[in-house]
Amino acid sequence: MKHHTQPNRPRAFALAAITIAAMTVTGCGNSLAQTDAAAETVKVGLVVPTSGVYEPLGVDMTNGFQLYLDQHDGKLGGKSVELVKADEGDGPDTGVPAVNKVILQDGVSVVVGIVNSATALGVKESVAQAQVPLIIANAGANDVADGSDYVWRTSFANGAVGASLGEEVAAQVDGPVYVIAADYAAGHEFAGGFIDAFEAAGGTIAGESYTPFGTTSDWQPFLTQAQNSGAKAVFAFYAGAEAVNFVKQYSQFGLAGTLPLYAPGFLTEGGVLVAQGAEAVGILTSLHYSDLLDSPENEAFVAAYVEAYDTPPTVYSVQAYDAAAVLDLALADVDEVDGESIQQALHGIGAIASPRGEWSFDEQHNPDQPYFLREVESVDGANRNVVLRTLTE
Amino acid sequence: MAVFDGILLTSLNGLALAAVLFMVAVGLSLVFGTMDVLNLAHGSLALGGAYVGVVFLGTGGGLGQLVLAMIVATIVGLAAGLILSLLTRGIRDHLKQALLTLGLALIAADLMRLAFGGDVKSVAAPSPLDGTIEILGRPYPTYRLFVIAMSLVVGGLLYAVIERSLSGAIVRATVADRVMVEALGIRTKVVLAAVFSIGAALAVVGGLLAAPVLGAQPGLDNTILLLALVVVVIGGLGSIKGAALGAILVGQVQTLGVALLPEFASFLLFGAMAIVLLVRPGGLLPAAHAEVAR
Amino acid sequence: MTRRRLLGVVGALVLVLALAVLPLMLGNYPVTIAARILAFALLVVSVDLLTGLTGLPTLGQIAYFGVGAYTAGLVGIHLSTNLFVQVGLGTLAAIVVAAVTGALAVRTSGIVFLMVTLAIGELAHRVADGLPVLGASNGLAGIPAPTLLPGGGPLTLVAHTYWWTLGVFLVGFVVALVVTKSPLGRSMRAVRESPSRLAAVGQAPYWAKLSAYTVAGALAGAAGTAWTAQTRFVAPGDLAFSISAIALLCVVLGGAGTLWGPVLAAAVVIIVRDWVAGYVSGYRELLLGLLFVIAVYVLPRGFAGVAATWRRRGARRVAEREAAHVQT
Repeated sequence: MKHHTQPNRPRAFALAAITIAAMTVTGCGNSLAQTDAAAETVKVGLVVPTSGVYEPLGVDMTNGFQLYLDQHDGKLGGKSVELVKADEGDGPDTGVPAVNKVILQDGVSVVVGIVNSATALGVKESVAQAQVPLIIANAGANDVADGSDYVWRTSFANGAVGASLGEEVAAQVDGPVYVIAADYAAGHEFAGGFIDAFEAAGGTIAGESYTPFGTTSDWQPFLTQAQNSGAKAVFAFYAGAEAVNFVKQYSQFGLAGTLPLYAPGFLTEGGVLVAQGAEAVGILTSLHYSDLLDSPENEAFVAAYVEAYDTPPTVYSVQAYDAAAVLDLALADVDEVDGESIQQALHGIGAIASPRGEWSFDEQHNPDQPYFLREVESVDGANRNVVLRTLTE
Repeated sequence: MAVFDGILLTSLNGLALAAVLFMVAVGLSLVFGTMDVLNLAHGSLALGGAYVGVVFLGTGGGLGQLVLAMIVATIVGLAAGLILSLLTRGIRDHLKQALLTLGLALIAADLMRLAFGGDVKSVAAPSPLDGTIEILGRPYPTYRLFVIAMSLVVGGLLYAVIERSLSGAIVRATVADRVMVEALGIRTKVVLAAVFSIGAALAVVGGLLAAPVLGAQPGLDNTILLLALVVVVIGGLGSIKGAALGAILVGQVQTLGVALLPEFASFLLFGAMAIVLLVRPGGLLPAAHAEVAR
Repeated sequence: MTRRRLLGVVGALVLVLALAVLPLMLGNYPVTIAARILAFALLVVSVDLLTGLTGLPTLGQIAYFGVGAYTAGLVGIHLSTNLFVQVGLGTLAAIVVAAVTGALAVRTSGIVFLMVTLAIGELAHRVADGLPVLGASNGLAGIPAPTLLPGGGPLTLVAHTYWWTLGVFLVGFVVALVVTKSPLGRSMRAVRESPSRLAAVGQAPYWAKLSAYTVAGALAGAAGTAWTAQTRFVAPGDLAFSISAIALLCVVLGGAGTLWGPVLAAAVVIIVRDWVAGYVSGYRELLLGLLFVIAVYVLPRGFAGVAATWRRRGARRVAEREAAHVQT
């Protein structure tokens, strides 16, 4: 008898081969060769979250960047911009591949965006290796921007935002302050920056609590500790859902009227402020922006933003708007539109006229910028961050 | 004394969290106990309930709105449970069920995100319950006491039905020995569909009642699912008392434990679960279950 | 060697060759995706060894993947950039941790084992998130480019780290294959089918389970070191519960116990989630969810089941043809 069996292996190969073929069709090229750049058109990679918990920030940042482009005819530095978007997702496991994709696959000359600090740290080396400048429009970890040629930041450094409140709180509060923050790198950096500046200005810390990040639903034990510590004010850092719950419980457990609350502005920024409702009124925050800043640049910016997107801009919008402004200045100075030239141009762009006020890059490539003291007030039935005064120049 | 007050208040919070977890987890436990179905979409049900809260109570409302929201949540839950029971009917293998229900959970999560946006939404406690009560000289949110009371009512009702009524006896018998119940002529398919629907309704209502405390946002479904799984495993599969005990334990670990040992906060929950499982693999109060010869 | 077996071996060699020449045919970005797939696929193989072969469904292999990844990273920063050193130490660390945790975990089985491994995975995740020496929540960055030969130059090209990952994957896969065909493999299958019968022939199921657990831990650790070699960055998010869940589901999707089925499923899942979702941005979870739901109904025994069905159909066609042949 003749055996005519069909081994299953070739069938499995067919499936695998189809997969590989699909990838080949969309990804032809030689991984061992180099890619070229084109002149007169510049490819910009915009990597922000378009899914997951940080999606609202990504929306604001995309809007801010796009607004600048629309105001300048889709050109930066006189060159047409081809915008390549990628989803940063929730963290480095999606963010790092997204940055890799725009650099390796799409061949962008510069990457803009990044909300998550861990993602920023994760791509620091690869952008330098690929010689593609990264303009960070949010991620705040202190170590991200350290003066490396290819990493620039238009947003902030966590420690600096915390520190901006140090002198103010020392001057305004007659007594010790209790510090409470989320227990992850950013929380420690914000609190650390504040504590250093506050103690240098003569203040005393009544106690510190760091609450488990992302899993805390009950702040009562920590709030009770704050009340029992003899503190005369509280400094807190939270963002996102934790900011909403913390502020609500701060009020529910009776601290809102008795212990003034100071925080970096993220506690009451954007969608979070809407969700907090009346319980946020009276909170004092420091941030490098508020949509109620009283300056001609800001009023024009806010008007244009509201007309385009039907909602007031947030600090995330401004950070991305300024990233476009930075690129506008840098690209005006280059002949070759490639990463290395752009990076060199970034070193010499000088001051940026921004809705937040004029600022320039410092030695670590962070913005050397003023911080404003804001207070949450109910304006025309909605919560707004009213600017009281400038804290630091 | 201040320390003692603090601990008492924190334990009260632990009970409030336990109340929410009990309502969400009891359905998961009963469904697993009766039908051997591991429903990983349970967290999505709770999140759905939270979004029901956003729709009806988002901008503040009274008791009327709360009752309406609870009715809607119950209907949504019953329907969802029925659909889930139909979808998992033919699938016996646990891992296949996990694949199916996780797939459904992923789809539901993205659909809810598309419908409600990625922003965190807060829900106000309905109006006569949004104040505070003085406990030991400190203000305490009234709403949390309400949640504890609700869970006692629900738990009591469930217990009465399961332990004292005929339908409850049938459910308990199905948990203990499904084959025998089938042999007695009772259509276990109907029993299982009923249990699934009621379990799902409990999860949705639980999520609704939790909304003023936990809010509503993408990702909350995973958090709740993980906590509910821990509750069910610690408490023992298929038993209401187990779910209650598990919920109380988890609630206290998450509040009192975190307050007393903040440096170990992240490890407390899963460390506790691992210890319980290694000492009592069936959970603390498992339901009677027929041994199948292997 | 039977003709079928020969065809199988030749087919496997062809596939390996195709994987090896991948960087010469595809651009940089698809190659980085392929490298990620290979590292993840080895993790999935380790899950299959426990779940498919030994009948111990696990959500905790990510812990040993993390041990391997972080160890390789720390070695790279503080000790040596040599890849052999990194994979050796990383795998060794994973073996030790797996043996210690496994000694406790394999005392349970079934759903309890699943929850214990879930606890192990989550605890590892939280340790990674909390320890400053591992970079805490920011992750371990600044890992220098790996080297292959002592005193050799750093591997910076995507193709080179891809080939290393492919090598680690192939070695790991062969080890898994050898184990399944060994006496240990038979004991593992016996544990899955009937532990009491295994005990009846004088072998304690405990030691079979623990051995399987340790081997699986070693494979997961090796996968972790390969991950670090290509990404040069390890974050706590790489140990998230969702990755454990997806790895387990790849085993189910591919056909538990077949080894190659789950590997194929791993490739499909990563491609759907990272590649396809890039074109329909913002719907990543929806696509993955649809894939899972459809697979449960359309592929009841996973991808391997499809192959088995073809084989059965082929055999039936052969039988029918021979029956017809006899009658004429």
